[in-house]
Amino acid sequence: MNGEAILPYLIIIPLFGAFSMPIVNLLGRKAREAWAVLISGATLIVGSGIFYSVWDTKEILVYTLGAKSPLGQGVSFPIRIVWEVDLFGAIMVLMVTLVSFLAVLYSLGYMKHDTGLDKYYTLIIILELGMLGIAVTGDLFNFYVFLEIMSIASYALVAFRNDTWEGIEAGIKYMFVGSIASAFVLLGIALLYGQYGTLTMSYLAVKLAESPSVTAKVALALFIAGLLFKSGASPVHMWLADAHPAAPSSISAMLSGLVIKIGGIYALTRILFSIYGASISVKTVGWVIIIFACITLVVGNAMAVIQNDMKRLLAYSSVGQIGYILLGLGIGLAAYGSQTGETAMAGAIYHTFNHALMKALLFLIAGVVIHQLGTRDLNELSGLAKTMPKTTFAFLISAAAIIGMPPLNGFASKWLIYESSAVFNPILGAIAIIGTAFCTAAYVKVLYTFLGRPGESVMKAKDPEGSMMIPIILLTAAIIVMGLFPWQISDKVMIPAAKALENQLAYIGAVLGGA
Amino acid sequence: MFGYWDALYFVFVFIIGLILAYILDKWAKRSSMGTREVGDGTKIFISGEDPEEVIPGFEHLEGHYTGRNVMWGLTYALKRFFTALKADHTGLLTDYVSYLVIVTAFVMGVLLIWG
Repeated sequence: MNGEAILPYLIIIPLFGAFSMPIVNLLGRKAREAWAVLISGATLIVGSGIFYSVWDTKEILVYTLGAKSPLGQGVSFPIRIVWEVDLFGAIMVLMVTLVSFLAVLYSLGYMKHDTGLDKYYTLIIILELGMLGIAVTGDLFNFYVFLEIMSIASYALVAFRNDTWEGIEAGIKYMFVGSIASAFVLLGIALLYGQYGTLTMSYLAVKLAESPSVTAKVALALFIAGLLFKSGASPVHMWLADAHPAAPSSISAMLSGLVIKIGGIYALTRILFSIYGASISVKTVGWVIIIFACITLVVGNAMAVIQNDMKRLLAYSSVGQIGYILLGLGIGLAAYGSQTGETAMAGAIYHTFNHALMKALLFLIAGVVIHQLGTRDLNELSGLAKTMPKTTFAFLISAAAIIGMPPLNGFASKWLIYESSAVFNPILGAIAIIGTAFCTAAYVKVLYTFLGRPGESVMKAKDPEGSMMIPIILLTAAIIVMGLFPWQISDKVMIPAAKALENQLAYIGAVLGGA
Repeated sequence: MFGYWDALYFVFVFIIGLILAYILDKWAKRSSMGTREVGDGTKIFISGEDPEEVIPGFEHLEGHYTGRNVMWGLTYALKRFFTALKADHTGLLTDYVSYLVIVTAFVMGVLLIWG
């Protein structure tokens, strides 16, 4: 399969789908829903194709907008917008297209009683488009544009249900403080452009290695702070606990499963490894990330324990899991070039993917519970297992996976992170285990509630209809199946992705060639 | 780095564990003074709360175990830690922005000195 030929369709299809939605909407509800499923399904096919192509050929895909070569005529440096996909980017593409498709499918049943659904489906596809753009772009300003497309769609979707104060308040808070974080990122880009005169990531990497400067360090600090915010790292995680529970559950699944990964973790990793790479003190940056990771995984998981609101508990749990991913990323940087660093980075990438599946599933389950009972207060959900056995089973699997229980997928990725952190610094390994202890307490609390004695209100509940059940079944199956082949996935996909990420020269060479 | 692990081994261990638990249960029932199958003996004991008891004002929660009961020990033991965490999560927009500024300043300081 020619990955470069299909790469533009990854953006074209959702872009066309989103903006044609208001017209399709004129044909009625069924046409609108079919269109949304068709567009996200087609994007999933293209995304899978791109992943397979990059994984199979082990080459970096490069696509130049408006020309054959990114280099200008008569000059040896790139002047055009470039899209560049390595294995890490391809994994993110697969993750985004898969979870988005399932979220759209789930929305058919979950959102059917809501109004303004043409706007909802337009926004959800735009959200997917923004995330895909971030995953494929090789141009820093283009990255910012996609980051804003994703963020603005997120703000709107958080406040989509505007009949309650909760969504509006969360949406406004998220928008206000999120815009400040985005402004930091934009300022960082402006500083780099002013200093080095280019926005192409690979060429910027060359320039940075040639002449590192204080400006570049200031820009990096702005990137790190802005993107830590976007990833929901503690202590800048508080918006997340407001925004993610307030959104409709299908959107919460995308926000917690995808947005914080792509807009935060992926972007940070790309900037640190592919742009800055060896031109900064990786050890210092690594330790900065590790400090935030440790705070995040303890605070996030601990806050989850004391929540009585199911979705808020899941949101805090997302903060905790981001801590593990950041820990892997931090060790990957601090132990740059060693086997420990490589294992940590592979664990971080693996956990990013796994957590997307697990958290998407957990939020979809929370949505089912809200749909059936109209509440997300854990005190009123006792005994749900009696009346919603399939949903409870899916919850059991996803909770066990997120805790890191073998033989599910979360175990494999967490193991790689524990293993590398214990080798790198045993204290970090101990902190990671403390985080997991809190995480276990939080999920046991929910599970115990589900398995308790049923109350009267719970007796009326039942497992949801097909369109809501199918994504839940698919995600549960994915978690179980991925857990059965941890070695194979780790060795064949995640370790090569970590290696590709560390190979900055290959990333630069893919765009600049011999120039 | 730490040697070999395989998910299938965990499945086997889990199945063996289930079989052992079943055998142990059977053995305990046979050799004990007698297991109470009805009455108070079957009640689950959670943090001293009687599930049958109705607390005035909390009738809607009658007999429903909630996760709060299970984690009572943990939350009580770490009360000060949790209280400090809760106090920090004010929900105020100004606090969110302050934390963002503090994080930026911290990262910038570290990078400028050691980066």
